[in-house]
Amino acid sequence: MAGLVPDSREQLRAVATLRWRLVLNSLRSVRGRMNLVSRSIAGLLVTAAGLGGAFALGATAWELTRTHKLEWLAAFFWIVFLFWQFFPVMATAFTQNIDTSALLRFPLSYKTYFFVRLAMGTLDIATALGLFWSFGLVIGISAAAPRLIPWAVVAVLGFIVFNVLLARAIFVWIEHWLSRRRSREIMGLLFFVLMIGFQFIGPALDHYAKKPTGQRFGYVAKLVPVQRALPPGLSASVIAAADSGNASGLLGPLALLIAYSGAALALLHLRLRQQYRGENPEGNAASTATAEDAAIRPGWKLPFFSAPVSAVFEKEVRYFSRSGPMLFTMIMPLVVILLLWGGRKSFLQHQSEFFFPIGAGYCLLVMTNLVYNSFGGDGGGIQSFLMAPITFRQVVFAKNLAQFAVLVVEVAILLLGVSLIYRPPHPVFLVLTFCWYLFAAPINFGVGNLLSLYSPKKIDYAVFGRQRASETTIFASLGVQLVVMGIGAFAIFLGYHYDNYWLGTLILAVLAIPAITAYLILMRRIDAIVMTRREVLATELCKA
Amino acid sequence: MEAAILTENLTRRFGDFTAVQDVNLRVETGQFYGFLGPNGAGKSTTIKMLTGLMAPTSGRMQILGFDLATHMVDVKRQIGVVPEGMALFGRLTGSEYLNFVGRMYGLNRTTAAQRAAELLEFMELTDHPKTLITDYSHGMQKKLAMAAAVIHGPKVLFLDEPFEGVDAIASNTLKAMLQRMISRGATIFLTSHVLEIVERLCTHVGIINNGRLVAQGPLDDLRVSTADEASPGERMSLEEFFLKTVGGPRTAAQELSWLG
Repeated sequence: MAGLVPDSREQLRAVATLRWRLVLNSLRSVRGRMNLVSRSIAGLLVTAAGLGGAFALGATAWELTRTHKLEWLAAFFWIVFLFWQFFPVMATAFTQNIDTSALLRFPLSYKTYFFVRLAMGTLDIATALGLFWSFGLVIGISAAAPRLIPWAVVAVLGFIVFNVLLARAIFVWIEHWLSRRRSREIMGLLFFVLMIGFQFIGPALDHYAKKPTGQRFGYVAKLVPVQRALPPGLSASVIAAADSGNASGLLGPLALLIAYSGAALALLHLRLRQQYRGENPEGNAASTATAEDAAIRPGWKLPFFSAPVSAVFEKEVRYFSRSGPMLFTMIMPLVVILLLWGGRKSFLQHQSEFFFPIGAGYCLLVMTNLVYNSFGGDGGGIQSFLMAPITFRQVVFAKNLAQFAVLVVEVAILLLGVSLIYRPPHPVFLVLTFCWYLFAAPINFGVGNLLSLYSPKKIDYAVFGRQRASETTIFASLGVQLVVMGIGAFAIFLGYHYDNYWLGTLILAVLAIPAITAYLILMRRIDAIVMTRREVLATELCKA
Repeated sequence: MEAAILTENLTRRFGDFTAVQDVNLRVETGQFYGFLGPNGAGKSTTIKMLTGLMAPTSGRMQILGFDLATHMVDVKRQIGVVPEGMALFGRLTGSEYLNFVGRMYGLNRTTAAQRAAELLEFMELTDHPKTLITDYSHGMQKKLAMAAAVIHGPKVLFLDEPFEGVDAIASNTLKAMLQRMISRGATIFLTSHVLEIVERLCTHVGIINNGRLVAQGPLDDLRVSTADEASPGERMSLEEFFLKTVGGPRTAAQELSWLG
């Protein structure tokens, strides 16, 4: 039988159609349509960032060209380069990656496979913004000195080609590593640590600004020769040489820029070729069991609580400790403290007594995702709870207990931080915050339990971002938070107004009584509610 | 003798669609019962109702003499289940999960830990002590789900496609374990698409098609052709009986002519 000869163009068309169908089919659900809206908004934001950045870079390039300081363009090429290369890698921590190497099961030629991998990978935010900003540089240079247009276009084109190829090469080399859950978590944490690290840029710049001018420029001078030998510096050198009429001086950097692009292409080709041949250089290292691993370890036993409550509590804490995003919520009080520390010399120092109650309120706020969709991370495990010979009240209570334990740890960290940076909060503010928690926590846990049962949504604790509870949960939790925060703020305002914070404390303590009563009444009814909701819970949370 | 599983006119509707219609099951204690049917016939819906994961629209269910509607917790204490979704917590290790399940079923901490270790050894899952369940292969997850279903020594075991994705060696170990449970008086209710497995393991079979129970009884009795057929008295294979009962194979005219 004569075999079919696959037409590469038809295959590419099929891949494009597949992508398009995936988008269209996603619109069948309400969630998909909501995603389209959020993507459209994101698209508008990207366009705005692209145009704004292009305008800013264009204006800077225009000014540098006009004043013949084109060697400074290197700094802006470096900014574009760093964003282009780092953002896509970090963004993978937030998403499950589509493995396009799955296309290998089809009879694709290597050329087609290479093109598909290159083209599909290039359709991302970093490339879009990188292109916008690069064109901004070209336009700025061209507007200031039309005679530089050919060389500006060549240099920027070389820069773009290098970036596209390098970004793809980096990605295909590390995608196997990133496809592992643990790697994504590490990358996600790294990203957030970097975000927090940005808080230190200001103090660092302040520190160096105090150094003598010569010393400051000394640091920069050491970096200049190094950066000139790298693609962003080379692109700037080509344009600067063209501006100074040094034709021979621009050929060297241009050749080197092309060589870098060639090296990136070779790296990309090497990995894709390996994939195409089915080679997997990383392999899978099998873990080996040790005698310690094989030892019998009984589970936790919480004093005063039943075995099922202890078991669920242990499960919750283990889940929490293995989730990058969840652990991140634990360090949020530290971020708050860091921000407070940043403002310690400003007007905030006169209002420091409010830091603890505000920070404690914030701690409860960051727990919203956990409390209002408390079965979301269990996935198919919800069936274990439903099949077990226990009352569901025990499960819900154990979850609340674990959430409360996390909250206590967060508030303790906050208290320690505030005490070290400023001074320990006045006892009245400690008691006021405690009473607010007695009122706010049962309300949050009660409404959170109801929404967890009535509007569950499966989430993956291993993935950062792009995961949120259902729209119903979001709006309801927002309403509850506004009410409890508003009442807390009102209690503080009363204390401030009458210069007696015990008054607000008393009001919160009184409000805590109906809040706790309502929570207890709800818990007594929780099994009846679960009986009516068990199918929705299992169906929604067991979805693939 | 009291039936281990008994249903009367068990019915489940989803809006206008009837997934299970007037099913009357009777599984005696100690039977290895294979519950068969084509895709979408109502097998998983029936198992979900029998294990308390789904409420019936009408009808009654009794497990070991307990009415499921009024004695849900008593029933759950006596049964083990490997449901369709396997009911695993992806971000626990195998050992942690089995410990958890053991305690949920009322075992004390030491017993739960000992049985967890024994089961992991039995299922050959001890090579991956620190691996999270989410990183297990499908077959490993199935073995773990099976281990969790038996950790408390249930009297009735419900298994929804227990051998799907399990390798031949592990499958053999599991089959031996299930047969030992039967010999000790347990009752097993199993669904599977692999008729050879059902034929080898089960003593009794029920076939559901379009939500209705169309055949039920001892396997040997069902396989004997009836007198009105070409060879009365001759034994059919389970596959032949199954195909005859639920509609038969496609005819040559229905086949795809362009396939080589």
